[in-house]
Amino acid sequence: MTLKRRKEATAAFLFASPWLIGFAVFLAYPLCASIYYSFCDYSVLKLPVWIGTRNYENLMRDEIFWKTLSNTAYYAIFALPLGMVVAISLALLLNTKVKGLAFYRTFFFLPSLVPMVSLAVLWLWMFNGESGLVNAALGGIGIKGPNWLSDPEWSKPALVLLSVWGVGNAMVIYLAGLQDVPVQLYEAADLDGATAWQKTRNVTLPMISPVILFNLIMGIIGTLQVFTVPYVMFPGGSPARSTYFYTMYLFDNAFRYQKMGYACAMGWIMFLIILVLTMISLRLSEKHVHYGGS
Amino acid sequence: MNPRAIGTIGLAAVVVGTALYGERITTPEVKPGPVRITYWEKWTGFEGDAMRAVVDAFNKKQSEVFVELLTVSGIQDKTLLATSGGNPPDVAGLYGPNVAQYADSRAILPLDEFCAEAGLSRDSYIPCYWDIGFYKGHVWALPSTPASTALHYNKKMLREAGYDPDRPPRTFEELDAMAAKMTVREGGRKDGRIVRSGFLPNEPGWWNWSWGSFFGGKLWDGESKITVDTPEYIRAYKWIRSYSEKYGAGDLQNFRSGFGNFSSPQNAFMSEKVAMLIQGVWMYNFISQFAPKLEWGAAPFPYPADRPDLERSTLVDLDVLVIPKGAKHPKEAFKFIRYVQSQEGMELLCLGQRKHSPLATSSAEFYAKHPNPYIKLFTELAKSKNSISPPQLGIWPEYEAELNNAFDEVYLMKKTPEEAVAYVKARMQPILDDYLLKQRLREEAEKR
Amino acid sequence: MARSHKQTQKLKTAGIHLVLVALSLLFMFPLLWMLSTAVKPIDETMLQPPKWIPSVFMWGNFREAFTYSSDTLGYIPFLVYGRNTLILCILGVAGTVVSNSLVAYAFGRLKWPGRDFAFAVTLATMMVPFPVLMVPIYGMFKEFGWIGTFKPLWVPAWFGSAFAIFLLRQFFRSIPFELSEAAKLDGCSEWGIYWSVVMPLAKPALAVVALFHFMGTWNDFLGPLIYLLDQKTFTLSLGLQVFQSQHGGTQWNLLMAASAIVVAPIIVLFFFTQKQFIEGITMTGLKG
Repeated sequence: MTLKRRKEATAAFLFASPWLIGFAVFLAYPLCASIYYSFCDYSVLKLPVWIGTRNYENLMRDEIFWKTLSNTAYYAIFALPLGMVVAISLALLLNTKVKGLAFYRTFFFLPSLVPMVSLAVLWLWMFNGESGLVNAALGGIGIKGPNWLSDPEWSKPALVLLSVWGVGNAMVIYLAGLQDVPVQLYEAADLDGATAWQKTRNVTLPMISPVILFNLIMGIIGTLQVFTVPYVMFPGGSPARSTYFYTMYLFDNAFRYQKMGYACAMGWIMFLIILVLTMISLRLSEKHVHYGGS
Repeated sequence: MNPRAIGTIGLAAVVVGTALYGERITTPEVKPGPVRITYWEKWTGFEGDAMRAVVDAFNKKQSEVFVELLTVSGIQDKTLLATSGGNPPDVAGLYGPNVAQYADSRAILPLDEFCAEAGLSRDSYIPCYWDIGFYKGHVWALPSTPASTALHYNKKMLREAGYDPDRPPRTFEELDAMAAKMTVREGGRKDGRIVRSGFLPNEPGWWNWSWGSFFGGKLWDGESKITVDTPEYIRAYKWIRSYSEKYGAGDLQNFRSGFGNFSSPQNAFMSEKVAMLIQGVWMYNFISQFAPKLEWGAAPFPYPADRPDLERSTLVDLDVLVIPKGAKHPKEAFKFIRYVQSQEGMELLCLGQRKHSPLATSSAEFYAKHPNPYIKLFTELAKSKNSISPPQLGIWPEYEAELNNAFDEVYLMKKTPEEAVAYVKARMQPILDDYLLKQRLREEAEKR
Repeated sequence: MARSHKQTQKLKTAGIHLVLVALSLLFMFPLLWMLSTAVKPIDETMLQPPKWIPSVFMWGNFREAFTYSSDTLGYIPFLVYGRNTLILCILGVAGTVVSNSLVAYAFGRLKWPGRDFAFAVTLATMMVPFPVLMVPIYGMFKEFGWIGTFKPLWVPAWFGSAFAIFLLRQFFRSIPFELSEAAKLDGCSEWGIYWSVVMPLAKPALAVVALFHFMGTWNDFLGPLIYLLDQKTFTLSLGLQVFQSQHGGTQWNLLMAASAIVVAPIIVLFFFTQKQFIEGITMTGLKG
């Protein structure tokens, strides 16, 4: 028995070895190095020099740090729920029994397959305050659209709206969750004379709550790291730094200003924020998330 | 063998093949013959063509060095990344304002010995261009193509507004007055949207940081103090704000968001939406390409009426050639740079890019062949004592970002000029202190 | 009574279709724009307001996207970007499938001391944002001499990722353990069980992991931005951004034609596999 166990453990070790190496090299080492660098004056061209907590102290005083943090929080607070609602709604729609589902699913997923950078350029045109299609459409129903791209009040809302096109991934995961809901539960609800809304509210949502939690956590991690679209659409976070996000400032510090120690300190603060938010989500969800039979 | 095994082996072969192919793409070829050096160039289009012609001429002229030109975008960041990654090109075509940051980071090699050997000195150039590559007592970079800027104006629009088309504004006061008269609102109503403008401080918006210098301000004292909070700078930002006050920040934004791409016939100046703007010597090329019928002229940019000493202020910009640290063939790299500094190489390049030459003298043939009717003006402006170039500061990228942001906030009326300037000062001074301190500690450590 | 019920049902279906079609159009919009640009003459690509239907249909753009390369212009043929992206996708996807299935087998099918703790740590690593690791990893790859090569962008995939390990482990656990026991009695080694019992049954889950990784690589921008230096090695995302940010005459139409050519097979692939794909995720059961 012990021999068998030992054999199994050896096999397991061999099977897991890629990840053990990967974890050590691509995660554990960089994480430790990153902590160390965050207490150093460092750029790749120079050796790290220990400067204590100076990077963190400077960060606390750095108004741009706070600005990018609040921009990022704004984006996450609006884009995350919006994305979740849209993704769940689309998944619910796609879970009905109508013809041509294969087409619809593909259509909704399409934007996730087009390179984000080329989408960003399209959005620059669509949201142009003077001649963009969005304002043309708003004008059609008698609303004078704002200057989405050059008005600091509207540039972030524009980005939030844009993020909706990228819900394909989350939508597919919800859809998978929906297909896992036992049909008998709906049949039982039908017998009780439940309306469609009641069924959604009392059967569907509780049944897919683990998926919602999963997507919520992945969403927090993703939205807090928003980079590509604003980087391409708004160089330097213009206008007036209204679209200057955390990861953009971190990138600038690391690779443009050659302040890599400072960038590492920023990275660690971001990690802690994500950690805390994830803990909170897990704690709050304890009561509401329903884990099947297990 | 069962089909599954065959399939697996086939897939494995595909993966291995792809990996090897990928390796081949990213490994530079080694060929026998002359020493091959890589040169990173930032320009595409006709400007890139001009550089390629110079490279070809050099490759043909001698047989020891072969230069391979690669077009790289975002070159200032990429070269820094490549140098820190230990994989830099032999020659990089950077922008002039990058020199200080690169030199301080020890990312480029000093060229003093090479220059002495080749007999290149300040006397060989229009001084302002040599100075851009000269930092802390060393030569770090030599010119490729230079530029100076001037007021570009639309003669037809001047005429239509009742002005003499050959008498562009000379002072900021004239500029503002003429701009006001040339600005047209839809239907002539006061609340109509702007359809045409005389002048906008942020068109093309490439040098929003520089207006203070046109009013006589300096960005730092050259030693340790950020001097952006001086009356000259406040005056400049007040002037910027006066446009938002006069025309409405929202209206100006609306108007500007309708402009097309710079390099297109929808360009604001070429589509006659803006009558006057600051532009560089290259503007001629775009006009001749996209709006050949445009009636335009160029003149020295205006100066404040009470500061005649600031007459003929001009922004000077320079593309430079540097040898990154870690370059495999610095000697051969300099051979190529040296060729570009020769009158033959330089005039071939500058004529191709339709700019003026940064060398102290230009041949008569150069001017004869040059298509830009104002080329002598740009050469003369570069020699002006009031040439403006970004300060040689290692923190310039950050400082510039800060100044551009201050421009935005004043232009959008989010901050008063005084607030904006005080903010920049308060933010940049500690960053500069920190930078200078670390720089000094490092230099002392290096000496030891 | 029955008839009116049927009628409401019909009306409802029609309503759902209407909503779906409208939303489809909204989501198709970017792709339609891409296609429209791909067949435009160059001078209509940057019009303000944008023009949807070109005055002439330039079908030749597709051919030109393959062949367009001019040393004198210093442009890189756009298909090169597509090729580079595909290389990274192939290598990354292969690595993801191989490494994660192995690791997930250890986590999901084998008993060993410290397994649950190791799995918890693995899950926790999903929360580490890339920016934290960016600087040290860059320094590390520099030491390896990998800056400017494709390796930083695909080698890590061969060493597992937490998300994929998690998905596959869930799936592997749902495969009846009796199958393993039976194979063992037949004298199969663990490797034999992995290879001939678990892997053949795991195809849907492997497809999901592969597709997610594919899309991640496809859309990655920050990675290529940091590690790739030479325009000849750029990916589509990075190449597109390069041309967007330069003043010079961007061949938008060709760029879009190239994107369309590269994207088309993926769309077709997704269309025909989406059912299995979604089932694959369903079976991995993200229920924890």
